[in-house]
Amino acid sequence: MNAASITATIAPGRRQLVNVRQQLLLTAKWRVMWVLILFAAITFGALLRIALLGVLQPAGTDLSLTDPLLPPRGDIVDRHGVPLARAFPAYSLWFNPKAMGDGGPPLVKTPAEIAAGLVRIFPDEDAGRLAAQLASGQPGYLRRRILPEEANRVHALGEPALESPFENERLYPQGTMAAHVLGFVGADGHGRVGMEQVFDERLTDPLSRGTPSMLSLDARVQGALEDELRKGMLDTKAKGAGGIVLDVDSGEVLALASLPSFNPNLIDRSGAVNIFNRMTNQVYELGSTFKPITIAAAIDAGVITDMARRYQSDRPLAIGGFQIRDSHSLGASLNIPEALMHSSNIVTAQVADELGAARLNATMRSLGMNERPYIELPAKGFPLWPRGQWSRITTMTVSYGHGIAVTPLHLASAYAAMVNGGIWRPATLMKLEPGHAPTGRRVFKASTSARMRQLLRMIVADGTGRKADALGFRVGGKTGSAEKPGAGGYRRSSLVATFAAAFPMDRPRYVIITMLDEPQGTVATSGQRTAAWNAAPIVGKVVPRIGPLLGVMPDTSRDIDISDLSPLVGHADGQ
Amino acid sequence: MNLTRDRVRSIGWAFVLSVCFALTMALTFRVNAEKSQVRLAERQIVALKREKLFLETEFQTRANQQQLRALNDIEFGYAAPTAGQYLAGERQLAAFGKPAGPGAPAPIRVASAAAEEIAPFPALVSPITGQAMAAEVKGGSARKLVNASGLKDHLAELHPAVVLQ
Repeated sequence: MNAASITATIAPGRRQLVNVRQQLLLTAKWRVMWVLILFAAITFGALLRIALLGVLQPAGTDLSLTDPLLPPRGDIVDRHGVPLARAFPAYSLWFNPKAMGDGGPPLVKTPAEIAAGLVRIFPDEDAGRLAAQLASGQPGYLRRRILPEEANRVHALGEPALESPFENERLYPQGTMAAHVLGFVGADGHGRVGMEQVFDERLTDPLSRGTPSMLSLDARVQGALEDELRKGMLDTKAKGAGGIVLDVDSGEVLALASLPSFNPNLIDRSGAVNIFNRMTNQVYELGSTFKPITIAAAIDAGVITDMARRYQSDRPLAIGGFQIRDSHSLGASLNIPEALMHSSNIVTAQVADELGAARLNATMRSLGMNERPYIELPAKGFPLWPRGQWSRITTMTVSYGHGIAVTPLHLASAYAAMVNGGIWRPATLMKLEPGHAPTGRRVFKASTSARMRQLLRMIVADGTGRKADALGFRVGGKTGSAEKPGAGGYRRSSLVATFAAAFPMDRPRYVIITMLDEPQGTVATSGQRTAAWNAAPIVGKVVPRIGPLLGVMPDTSRDIDISDLSPLVGHADGQ
Repeated sequence: MNLTRDRVRSIGWAFVLSVCFALTMALTFRVNAEKSQVRLAERQIVALKREKLFLETEFQTRANQQQLRALNDIEFGYAAPTAGQYLAGERQLAAFGKPAGPGAPAPIRVASAAAEEIAPFPALVSPITGQAMAAEVKGGSARKLVNASGLKDHLAELHPAVVLQ
């Protein structure tokens, strides 16, 4: 091989090498370029993302706390803001067979094992029922309401299919208290029975449900009234009891109780029978508590001008085949204060006879005794009102509260009118601002009202209502023990004992009615069944509890002036 | 590169513009960060308020009137105060502090045991022999053994003459 041939062979090879090198360089440059472009794109993308996050991120235009905190159903509170019904997010226990999400079996363990675990947490549950439900593979509630600690224990069972979602529940923190006023919320989310039904629209409307609906009730007064009524009911083995505390100047109901009560948190069969409200829905012949109304009507009409005038009281009145008699002989004659203090049917019937049917009828009408009671509650009883022209006997029986049946709320409103200066106002469960009380209508003259205060005070100070005389509270009122009508006339053994009172009598502020349905004579009542022994003592116990709460302080140095009437009263049983 | 005056000016404008843009962006970022913080805080407030409602409701339910009544019936037995336990006003309250008038019944005195008298203690006692090395305290009335079991007894002892010594 010579040199020339070598050169010749090298020269084309070098040229090729240079080409290869240039190509390689070009490729490398392109690759670098691509990497650079990639990096630039990533950088640009990142910057764009930052810019988007910084500039365009929705910063929450609805920066309002009200929306998430708006309750699903508005609260109901008493006149001082104590919650009586509130929306409450509670845990429930829900079985979700699809929770695993893999199409496999819904449970990790066997249904029987899980059911046994659940029964350890909820001892009242039935293991068989739970196991059957879990085995069925159907989604559903295992339990409607569970406590947070129970929810934690259920989680500890380690079953994803057992979920505890938040449910909006209606909670009544005070339990059975004021259940008849509040009512309850049905499964469809709408209120039933009480103010839950009345306020339903307001409680569910998003615009108004944020502010609690305020009632005129005072939880403390309601509690005290229910307490004492319950004790009284148990002491006398009564079938039921009821009570009202009413503001005489505004018609606001401060407490309204009907016992036995029900638990609005849990409506079951035993509670459902007690939903009926004795105070606004049931009508009773309220008996002697009507006598002061008759006397007031007679004073107002000018029929009674002299308190000392005596009426015969030892012979039963025979009218149209009926006989009007007293429970026991009260002596030959009685004057008006004595007739009220000893609760004489004979004297009251004579007064009503003189007053006449038309005037008694007009007074009863203007007290609203011929129509349903005025209150917001949906269930209101219609009175058994003697229709047409009242006969003489009707007038006489109505005068002492028989032959006419009204709700105890009617009676409370009538007593308020009798002691507040003579103005009847509708009862209300809504809190009224001071000075916004309804105008009402005048039923009695102010002078009649002043006289009635004296008479009512005398009944408690020295008559049948002595057991209601809470020291220093100047209580005045009237007992009423009416026999309940049954098949073939009145039943002597089943009574409705009522005590209608107001306090303090020197400037009446509140009316309080207590009623016992079929009380029995027990050791606690010295074997007696009449209102003087069972309904009146309840008032005597309630008033010292609620008076100071309502701004009525006991004061033994004051009382209504009865010095013009007290000489008319003998301190024996009649004369 | 030929930097004319116009070119410098436009570069300057561009620079100012970019600085402003950068500042605006920084501010916007900051504002949005704050807004996010606020939202976070609000979410926290909502959660806390819910918790508060939960606890409040639990408290009310546990302390409802019927529970309190049951507790009172079993544990305390408190009853409503009677008329005699009320005061009509400041005047009646002040009357309690009035000095007794002439002829008023003597205030009730609490009985107490007579304090025993103990011998006056010498000023100096020898630590070795235990004998008195100095005379007895001068002018010391017989000191009383204080056997106070309560505040009442202390008050009884604090007679001005005793305190001054």
